Amino acid sequence: QISAGFQEMSLGDRGGRRRDFHDLGVNTRQAIEHVRESKTGSSGIMIRLSTNYFRLTSRPQWALYQYHVDYNPQMEARRLRSALLFQHEELIGRTHAFDGTILFLPKKLGNKVTEVFSRTRNGEDVKVTITLTNELPPTSPTCLQFYNIIFRRLLKIMNLQQIGRNYYNPSDPISIPNHRLMVWPGFTTSILQYEKSIMLCTDVSHKVLRSETVLDFMFNLYNQVEEQRFRDICTKELIGLIVLTKYNNKTYRVDDIDWDANPKCTFRKTDGSEISYIDYYKMQYNQDITDENQPVLVSQPRRRRGSLMPGPAVLIPELCYLTGLTEKMRNDFNMMKDLSVHTRLTPEQRQREVGRLIDYIQKDDSVQRELRDWGLSFDSNLLSFTGRVVQAEKIHQAGRVFEYNPHFADWSKETRGAPLINAKPLDNWLLIYTRRNYDVANALLQNLFKVTPAMGIRMNKAIMIEVDDRTEAYLRVLQQNVTSDTNIVVCLLSSSRKDKYDAIKKYLCTDCPIPSQCVIARTLSKPQSIMAIATKIALQMNCKMGGELWSVEIPLKQLMVVGIDCYHDTVSGKQSIAGFVASLNQGMTRWFSRCVLQDRGQELVDGLKACLQTALRDWFKWNKYLPSRVMVYRDGVGDGQLKTLVNYEVPQLLDCLKSVGKDYNPRLSVIVVKKRVSTRFFAQSGGRPQNPPPGTVVDVEVTRPEWYDFFIVSQAVKSGSVAPTHYNVIYDSSGLKPDHVQRLTYKLCHMYYNWSGVIRVPAPCQYAHKLAFLVGQSIHREPNLSLSDRLYYL
Amino acid sequence: MDKNVQEERFMEVIKFTPPLYKQRYQFIKDLVGKYKPKKVADLGCADCTLLWMLKFCSCIEVLAGLDICENVMKEKMHRLYPLPGDYLQPAERSLTVTLHHGSVADKDPCMLGFDLITCIELIEHLEESELEKFPEVVFGFMAPAMVVISTPNSEFNPLLPGVTPFRHPDHKFEWNREEFQSWALNVARCYNYSVEFTGVGLPPTGMEDVGFCTQIGMFVRKYSQTSETAHFEKPTKAAYKTIFKAVYPSLKDEKYLQIAVVSEVVFTAQVIKRSLMNHFNSEHEEYSDGPVEIKSKFQHSKNCVSEDLENLAVEKCMEPSVSGNVVYIPLTKIFSFPKVNQLCGTFEKLCKLITGKVTLSSDGSAMVVDTEQENEEN
Repeated sequence: QISAGFQEMSLGDRGGRRRDFHDLGVNTRQAIEHVRESKTGSSGIMIRLSTNYFRLTSRPQWALYQYHVDYNPQMEARRLRSALLFQHEELIGRTHAFDGTILFLPKKLGNKVTEVFSRTRNGEDVKVTITLTNELPPTSPTCLQFYNIIFRRLLKIMNLQQIGRNYYNPSDPISIPNHRLMVWPGFTTSILQYEKSIMLCTDVSHKVLRSETVLDFMFNLYNQVEEQRFRDICTKELIGLIVLTKYNNKTYRVDDIDWDANPKCTFRKTDGSEISYIDYYKMQYNQDITDENQPVLVSQPRRRRGSLMPGPAVLIPELCYLTGLTEKMRNDFNMMKDLSVHTRLTPEQRQREVGRLIDYIQKDDSVQRELRDWGLSFDSNLLSFTGRVVQAEKIHQAGRVFEYNPHFADWSKETRGAPLINAKPLDNWLLIYTRRNYDVANALLQNLFKVTPAMGIRMNKAIMIEVDDRTEAYLRVLQQNVTSDTNIVVCLLSSSRKDKYDAIKKYLCTDCPIPSQCVIARTLSKPQSIMAIATKIALQMNCKMGGELWSVEIPLKQLMVVGIDCYHDTVSGKQSIAGFVASLNQGMTRWFSRCVLQDRGQELVDGLKACLQTALRDWFKWNKYLPSRVMVYRDGVGDGQLKTLVNYEVPQLLDCLKSVGKDYNPRLSVIVVKKRVSTRFFAQSGGRPQNPPPGTVVDVEVTRPEWYDFFIVSQAVKSGSVAPTHYNVIYDSSGLKPDHVQRLTYKLCHMYYNWSGVIRVPAPCQYAHKLAFLVGQSIHREPNLSLSDRLYYL
Repeated sequence: MDKNVQEERFMEVIKFTPPLYKQRYQFIKDLVGKYKPKKVADLGCADCTLLWMLKFCSCIEVLAGLDICENVMKEKMHRLYPLPGDYLQPAERSLTVTLHHGSVADKDPCMLGFDLITCIELIEHLEESELEKFPEVVFGFMAPAMVVISTPNSEFNPLLPGVTPFRHPDHKFEWNREEFQSWALNVARCYNYSVEFTGVGLPPTGMEDVGFCTQIGMFVRKYSQTSETAHFEKPTKAAYKTIFKAVYPSLKDEKYLQIAVVSEVVFTAQVIKRSLMNHFNSEHEEYSDGPVEIKSKFQHSKNCVSEDLENLAVEKCMEPSVSGNVVYIPLTKIFSFPKVNQLCGTFEKLCKLITGKVTLSSDGSAMVVDTEQENEEN
């Protein structure tokens, strides 16, 4: 029984429809005694905020009436059932929603059971029995579903195209020809019960599409790479991508490319006849396939149809458009820059666009009629309320205390040149470079000599090794020169070619566990910035060797903080990796790490238990006692996975703690961290909507009544609208006040050593992410445990 | 209006593959493929399945549907909206799809000027009074170049068990071949059309004399219509209610053409630049690697000298050039790429469409592209 639940929990499972994306019906708050009355914090300065939520209002005493409709004799066809029912429109009224069995009406019929007679075209008399089964209050879950259905109707009336879960306006596309991209503006919407009222949350969304077919893409790639590597590279690029077919509005995930097949191949239709793809598409959609030699794409179905798992779908590249961005595109700085010009909206623009949707709803006659008929309406103003901005944190570094401008959430200037908490010496280290980068290597070395003394890092000259620009050459040099005394290896790479990087990382994380730092030569090419970059590299190297940079004040004692995040390998498609990090000391400056590699369909939980066990053991080694509190920040939870987390993962974590010892009974808190939320906050100051300052905490109005949840805006952004992070405490035996949990969470956002500033999530989540990413992208197996007490994955 | 479902129930004994309704639609599709009409209307379009099939036919620019029942049309009409793909690569042709709610016994100017009007399994649903007005409305008023009418052949009914008296309870009549043909011939004569008869749904062997299960009349207008005179005397009062209209994105629309051209031009420029830079860089590398390569390069250029000088001059003005951090790519070069050429048609059109959308050299003859980006990637 339990394993059935686990299967849902498997890391790879993210898609699939009919899942409850809003995690309705997971009522975790009621089990947490100390927040049943109040879950709000208290510290900080009040701030006036507005948000992209609109109240849904209904007439007083509004209810939705749910009926069951029966036919005697039985009628099968849905269309016929509708037709027979609506012969009695004078009884039912113009406004209704009917799916063939269940009828929703905004009004109550005279009797609980109403019987009417209809006549089919055959002259057959049919008794239609309409039975009231439910009188739904506005807040019932069925009603929420119903509102969302109605709202989708409205968006369709407004002529928006549905792609996935969101709606887009294709008639005003933004074209980015440099990269053959099309961006459609659109909206994400959802109607839910929030803290005090039912609200529509809507945010601007952009759909990135590509104005080229998969075949175009293949040709382009073919012209750019060597022939023998083409298939390999093409497979890597395409697998995992979502394609949109030309002839219908369906999206598919590419799971495989069948290079041996082509459009001339035949398949068996449902009626049993054989037909070639060419003929099929010609006949069915009048689509001509011009290239008869292209391979075909294979997509495995994600969901069952009834009890049957349908076979894989075969798609023709020429008839499929690419959508979204590939990992490679996401890493393409120029592309993302070009894209962000269009998709990154300032708070003012964002508020205007959201307002435009609401305006449209208020003005469109048919939309208004539909709403009026149901007795519903939307507030025309953004919801506004009061949030809090908590106190800025002070940065402690080797006895010195730094303050910084809280609006920028960055202290790189303030702490520049200050000694570190714990500086690791560079006594014995390698600097590997190609002949072409000899000058750059020397420049790096000189600049490191300049910046390290102030930090307190003792540094000898590196062992400089020249190498041919080939992967094998790098590996040979590593094998010959790395010893157990080597502090760190620095590799100067001439390009961002992933295979070289992967090979180096794999070797130095598994076979020969020594920290390593790869630097792309180009980043050091500008003389004016080389010192700043050398400073960053020095800090990063120090962390990787087990050094500590700075700290913030952590008032809670004997607290172990855990961070978990997942990486889903889209390329090989099979593995998912969970990164696990746990703090080792009071200042949260040292972290233990492990990761779990999980094949598709396997359970994550067992692996996490083992991680927690070793983390506790390590903690004991460091501190000579066990933590009395464990606080888990769990990232990487997909929409709709909350229930399995609550039902299976939390009990397993508790079990694990219990198994440590009879008298050991630490307090546990589990907090789900979510970065991708549609919620946006606007600070209304100076008449213009602006980003709320870092440290803004919201735990009213837009939170959910059944959860112990809150939002924090911890980071500052230079452009666009800042995205708050959502925290949901799903288990808590700590007894800590909400205010303390919020403050601690915010503090942890200061502790990520790769960024001298505040980040979006608590540092353990970001560390876990980094680790999972490195393992998933480059190493593909668990790194050597001898590295586990250092931030080697930064 | 479960025409198709109803019919299939009777067809259990005699099974048509593909199903009869599909054969009727295929018949229309084949006809469209043969005559390539631009404006097509389907009277009694029901759930718009035929219209949906026809929207993929690239000759059609106007597609209209008419039905007496609004609900049945609405049920699946969303299928007639343009798809995301239609926006991503707008088609050459323009296409407008409209649905009207109304009766074939009423005249509405929106049905004027069509090349083909189909009435699939329609007339047998008409009341006597409607059937009386039908020829005048369709052949007299709408007067399309071609009309296709299909209706059950009652002679086939004995082969379909359970048909009493008609194949569908809403049928007001079902004609045998003689009845249909005499009605059709009369209509044709009256409105100056020619008519030919055919059908779909072959009878089983040995029973050939009952004829097709569905009989079809194909009417072709014998006079040619100059659109202006024809429409002049017609009434302009609308009798139908438009319940759906979708205008498909098309390259005929300047907005979409411009997006497509700019997109193709910029992409082409990138391709040219990339190959130029690669060439540049590889030359660079060859020099640093050793003298062997240089020699072969020289030999190559020596061969070039012998080529026609005039030819060289022409090519020269087509060739992109690098200057500092930018590449100049002559528009003539870009125009020579087939896709760009095909989209714009003329060089003037190309210039007009990209003006203001891409960076041009001071004399407007070449596109200016930064090399910076590419360098950063290396």
